[in-house]
Amino acid sequence: MALGKSKRRSRKFVHPKLMLTSMMDMFTIILIFLLFSFSDHPEDLKLDEDLELPTSTAKSDYQETIKIVLSQRELRLNDEVMAAVEGRQVAGLTNDNLENSPFFQRLNTLRIESEQSESSQAPPTHILFLCDKSHSFQTINRVIKTAGLAGYPNFQFAVLEE
Amino acid sequence: MARLGRIRPQSEEETELNMVPIMNMFMVLIPFLLMSASFYQIKAINTSIPVHADTHANEVSSNNKTEKITVVLELKEKEIRVSGLSETPNDLFLSDLKMVIPREPGLEAPTDELVDFLKALKSRYPSSDTLILIPDEEVLYREIVQTMDSARDFEKERLFPNIVISGSLG
Repeated sequence: MALGKSKRRSRKFVHPKLMLTSMMDMFTIILIFLLFSFSDHPEDLKLDEDLELPTSTAKSDYQETIKIVLSQRELRLNDEVMAAVEGRQVAGLTNDNLENSPFFQRLNTLRIESEQSESSQAPPTHILFLCDKSHSFQTINRVIKTAGLAGYPNFQFAVLEE
Repeated sequence: MARLGRIRPQSEEETELNMVPIMNMFMVLIPFLLMSASFYQIKAINTSIPVHADTHANEVSSNNKTEKITVVLELKEKEIRVSGLSETPNDLFLSDLKMVIPREPGLEAPTDELVDFLKALKSRYPSSDTLILIPDEEVLYREIVQTMDSARDFEKERLFPNIVISGSLG
């Protein structure tokens, strides 16, 4: 026993050293990647789970304006739910009642308010349209036609950069 | 000299860089950058729908370089029809500027043929920049966007950047 103790005591205590080199390498790579992908204009648009935008080669940036979202489940105007999407059709939005729909009324109110406002900013002339890629033109056409009738014939179709 | 000889071994001792402050800085920077990083980029395609407008008499020119046409692209389920619409009232539909390209519904549009034809139209009428896209009701949004991409530009060459989207009249 005594021999064993003396053997243990005779060993020099070595301070443990963390090998930080490989960790530094990893952090440096992550930092460089993140700095490259850093954007001074972070996306203000939050994409919902039921909204999948199509990809495109478009390079133009979108502008902050009136926003229409046509997801798989609902139609929204500036985050306000306007109608549900049932069986790939916007409920209550048919070709013969576009101008009687709440969606049209709300857009019309927005246009009148923006025209009457005394702010120095020019009223928005176009609409940012975020639409799920699986919708058919029949569904989209009713939405954009209603917006056109309400005085907004110009659109920016939001897409994901390829 | 003897003193100097004694000092030298001390300066040759191994020195270690203290990496801990750098690590701390990284630990702060990385979460901040991760939070502000965006892993998708949203872009926009400018388009419009037809509106009722007063008609103005267009200047008629016989020179193709200044003469403008409007390209009409009908995106149907099984084919793409492209035609040229003259702004000259005498020859409204240009009979020689027509093409039908077959396509498989749901699959990618045959962009090569379409782009070739649009390039030919653009070279013939270089001042033209407007295309009316008329998709069928069953055509999907992603197919419309893909066709718009093909019609807008090709390898930095601008084709028909002003795209008007319209429902079919029929």
